[in-house]
This record gives sequence, structure tokens and C-alpha cells, in this order.
Amino acid sequence: MNQSHALWALLIMGAITFGLRGLPFVAARWLQSHPLIERMGRFLPLAIMMLLLMHAMRGGSQGHSGLPWPELAAVALTMALQWRLKHPLLSLLAGTALYVWWINP
Amino acid sequence: MALSSSKAHLPLSALTLPVAMGYIPLGAVFGFLFVQAGAPTWLAVLSNVVIYAGAAQYMMIPMLVAGASYASIALATLVINLRHVFYGLSLLQRFPPKGLMRLYMVFGLTDETYSVLTTLPADTPPQKMFLLTALNQLWWVLGTLLGAVVGAQAQLSLKGLDFVLACLFAVLATEQWRHRSSAWPVLVALPAYALALVISQQQALSIAIGLCVLAAVFIQPKPVSTP
Repeated sequence: MNQSHALWALLIMGAITFGLRGLPFVAARWLQSHPLIERMGRFLPLAIMMLLLMHAMRGGSQGHSGLPWPELAAVALTMALQWRLKHPLLSLLAGTALYVWWINP
Repeated sequence: MALSSSKAHLPLSALTLPVAMGYIPLGAVFGFLFVQAGAPTWLAVLSNVVIYAGAAQYMMIPMLVAGASYASIALATLVINLRHVFYGLSLLQRFPPKGLMRLYMVFGLTDETYSVLTTLPADTPPQKMFLLTALNQLWWVLGTLLGAVVGAQAQLSLKGLDFVLACLFAVLATEQWRHRSSAWPVLVALPAYALALVISQQQALSIAIGLCVLAAVFIQPKPVSTP
């Protein structure tokens, strides 16, 4: 890992994250007065999270040959646990553990 | 107000404890993976001080290893943290009007801190909200330090540990689903990604996001509004 590349990347990511979190504090009226923005606020977070999830699953499945059963099983387990128990850490670790166990011979 | 004012007397420790229980281990996993990927411990801690956004930090590990361009790192951060744009709206009146305290509280508005702050009664003093934000970040930093120190010693050759990011997205998606106002986002996202894959395997994520933004413009929600 190139340290100066990483350092710049950190600063960029920090600036973007801060900008996103700060936007409503400087542009509240604009955000609130547009029904389109409100609609996006209700639509996009779940849609984008699903996209990120599918993208990460696809990335995982490219690391091994065969069908994406380990990805599907690990994500199904994570979601089922989270839905029932609402314990993010437990869901996350159980899903990852199942995945790691599955793909390591 | 009787109900909510009883909540006002909850001590800081009771409010921050659930966050600590999540952040310390999650931070430790991040620190461990980051150091195993070849980063020095100080860089792991620094990333918590300047970014402080769990999912984005998990995502950046493989991107930094691959030497991804700044533009693609910036885009990925924008996408993953886009939901944070909508967090501040419900806290506008509650933050201190100006000053460093306000800036820091905006900076520290993570998913968990947001969800704790929004449950506090309206008369909660800003100082308390500020301390809560700072304590939450402290757990995240401590967890990372712990994980990084362990990760610097450990020799691990397990494949697939980075799938923890997919599982984190699965957890966040489940929580978004629990609080959904309709099933449309999922019904659109699945075919959007499939279609994007057909168009370009390389740019599938960006194309799919574009399709979802378009869908958000055109899908009119029912007039019955849910909060």
C-alpha cells in the first residue's frame, strides 16, 4: 500500500463525508422545498444499499470458481439474523464466518 | 412531555453503551483488516479521525490495496455516504447554532450517532449531544487501535475476510428495509443492476445508480405519506 496515496485518499474521503453530512445544515431550505429531493431521500438509501450489496456479492463471487452459493448463503444468514435479532455485530460476524469457512478448503 | 423528559435523565453512559458495544468490535475488525492489508497502525487510527464512516472505511481497504484512482475512491465514498445527506434535516433545530461544537457534531453524524440523537428529548442540552458524539467516536478509535495492534502481530491466510463489507451492507439494507416507505427501491434496484451488468461489467455500479436516480424521479409515491 502506497502511504501518500492512502493519505490523500483519506483526506478526500473525509472531505466528502463531511460535506454530505453538512449539506442539510447549509442548504436546508433548498432540500426541504423540493419534493423531488424528499422523494429521493425516501427512495435512494435502500436502493443504493441493495446495489452496494449486490456489487460486493459479485466481487466476492469473482474470487472463486463455481456458482455464487457462498455469497448468497452468507448474505441470507446475515439478513435473517439482523431481521430477527437486530444485533448488527452478531449478524455481520456470523455471515462473514460462514463465508470464510465455506470458501477456504 | 412526561414520557420524553424521563428519557432526558438517562445518563450519558446508558446512551453511549450500546454504541460502544457495536463500535469497539466493528472498529477492531476494521483496524485488523486494514493493517493486514499493509497499512501502518497510525494510518488506521488517522482514518478514523479524518473520515469516521464505517462502511466507507471498510470499502476503502481493497481500493487502497489496488491503488484505485482518487476519482473512483471519491465516487465510491459519495455513493456509500449519500444517505447521510438526509440525516441532518431532522436535527437542524437541535444542534448549537454555530461554532466548533456544531462543526464537530456535523462531522460525527454517523448512522448510530444519528439514531441515538434523534431519540433524545427536544430539551437535551447541546453539550450532552456533543459529548455523546465524541464518546461514540472514541469507541470507534479505540476499537480500531485494538484491532490494528492485533493485526500487526497476526499471520492470517484466510480468504474471504473482506466479505465483511458485503455483510455490513446486508445489515444496513435490512435496517433500511425495516423502515421503508415502499418496496419500490428494492424492486427497482435488482433489475437496474442486472441491466447495468449487461451494458458494462466495469461500470455496472455507476450505471445502476444512475438508473435508480432516474426511477426516483419518475416513480410517484402514493399520496398517503408515511413518515
